[in-house]
Amino acid sequence: MNITLGIFIVILLITLGITYWAAKRTATTSDFYAADSQLTASQNGFALAGDWCSAAAFLGFTGLTALYGMDGALYALGPLVAFCTVLFLIAEPMRNTGKYTLGDIIRSRMQTRSSLLAAIAGTVVVNFAYLMPQMAGAGVLVRLLTGISYDWAVIFVGVSMIIYVAFGGMLATTWVQIVKAVLMLSAGSIILVMIMSLVHFNPLTLFADAEQKYTAKYLLPGNYLKNPFDQISLGLGYVLGLAGLPHVMTRFYTVPDAKTARRSVVWVMFLAGAFFAGTTLFGLAAANFVGQDAIRAADKGGNLTLPLLAQYLGGGKGTFGGDLMLGFVAAVAVATILAVVSALTLSTSGAIAHDFYVNWVKRGQVEGRQEVWIARIAAVVIGVLAIALGILAQGVNVAVLVILAICVAASANFPVLILSLFWRRFNTGGVIGGMTVGLISSVALAMIGPAMRGADALWPLVNPTVVSLPLGFLGAYLGTLIAGRDPENEKRFDVFLLQVHTGVAPK
Amino acid sequence: MVRSGTSLEAAHASVRQLIAEKLKYLVPMTIIFMVGYIGLTVLAGFAGGLIGTKLIGSVNLGFLLIALNYALSWVLAIVYGRVANDVFDPLAAKAAAEIRAGN
Repeated sequence: MNITLGIFIVILLITLGITYWAAKRTATTSDFYAADSQLTASQNGFALAGDWCSAAAFLGFTGLTALYGMDGALYALGPLVAFCTVLFLIAEPMRNTGKYTLGDIIRSRMQTRSSLLAAIAGTVVVNFAYLMPQMAGAGVLVRLLTGISYDWAVIFVGVSMIIYVAFGGMLATTWVQIVKAVLMLSAGSIILVMIMSLVHFNPLTLFADAEQKYTAKYLLPGNYLKNPFDQISLGLGYVLGLAGLPHVMTRFYTVPDAKTARRSVVWVMFLAGAFFAGTTLFGLAAANFVGQDAIRAADKGGNLTLPLLAQYLGGGKGTFGGDLMLGFVAAVAVATILAVVSALTLSTSGAIAHDFYVNWVKRGQVEGRQEVWIARIAAVVIGVLAIALGILAQGVNVAVLVILAICVAASANFPVLILSLFWRRFNTGGVIGGMTVGLISSVALAMIGPAMRGADALWPLVNPTVVSLPLGFLGAYLGTLIAGRDPENEKRFDVFLLQVHTGVAPK
Repeated sequence: MVRSGTSLEAAHASVRQLIAEKLKYLVPMTIIFMVGYIGLTVLAGFAGGLIGTKLIGSVNLGFLLIALNYALSWVLAIVYGRVANDVFDPLAAKAAAEIRAGN
């Protein structure tokens, strides 16, 4: 355990050094929220990979594959395919029309105060639903790795995240993500090479051994997601939900133009995609080498599969190599959580400070210098709130919140965003209708489903996206019809469209 | 004023042309990856037997389709990058210049 702590302290010192460097370069509002839009495509690509591979991906996918076979591989594929949607439809229009937040796009399209409020609600709900399980996960992980108590672990993670965001803004958050992505990809490459040398560079052996050990059923779908509609919900949730996750989408504001935004998506698709594909092989290898019983004994959900596999590959428990590999992977897992919670805090502070306080309460009448301070204060407040929620969440089943975050992103944020960008008649009524129906149906269906109520579920699906997403679009459509045609809004859309496709706004 | 009006008109026309080009490429590309991926989840949900057909050693159709989906996403990303660079960007640049001339 000392090795883990040692490696982790090194990572912490590096990230704090980065924050010190970034803080000196963070003076304006644009610096704070968007790193002054000066990042390169590869920098943003690595940061996107850092952002998008949460602990659920880093630890979870490997564990799911090890315990449930093909369902884990299906889980890991979705987050890559999701970037096709983002690349084709979202990344460049986002860069061309927005400034710091999702709310900016809705506001510049609709120019109404109520649509801005709806956009803020979507961002805040998704971010907190995502943030809370990350904090709880961090508590469990750091306690496991270092032996400090759960509460102190949550406080430690929360305070680090507040320091990164409040002082270093987007620049520090970005570089924390880049460092984490490089560490994660290095760990993945080392593990992959070690596995491959064990099977004499024939990956087919992994499948054959797994089949022999756990029967052919292990390599079939349906071991984890028993309801077929849950499989489809998962797919839809990923493919359309990513585009509605504000903490990932705001990364497109950190680059200077649409072309760079596009190239950064291609980067993340190769970096993160390769890692996701790797988790399937890691999972099979863990099932073969470590064994499902040992994996379950360490953590029922399989979240410690990757550290255990690393320990095995390094030479096993009690050996120096084993401890070193375990320590390295465990430290990267903590860095992963730190990077993701920082991005979530920054994005939430954008919704609260920039969208709500500056643009809604003060109607934009705030000086630039003052706005940076409001943003920093908001980051501290959100961080403290996240710590409190993380401590309260101890022992509570927070898995449902992860599903909820993606589900709301796909069912509320995505319809509103895509229709704002591409539908001429879409109006404020549609924004409010889509956001309300998408949000309420996601939350209500998740709450009465098996994730929350177990055997007493009133509704069979863990993940309700397959129903709530069409409902969100329906709400947006009906809201638009009820609000009635607005010729001025439609004329404004023609002008908005010029900006969506060129990045230049006519005066 | 007259000049600025015509320039903005030209920008609108260029953007309409750009949108037509985008639709021509992006609609089929979107259908391909959606059918590929959502189709896979539907098969996984409803046709477990078919998915389990063994193809190469112990590797079954499902794992092969998963691998093909990875390859498809990467190929589409590269194709999109090429098309955007060669077809979309020149049109967008033309429209941008026309908007700036009108400003």
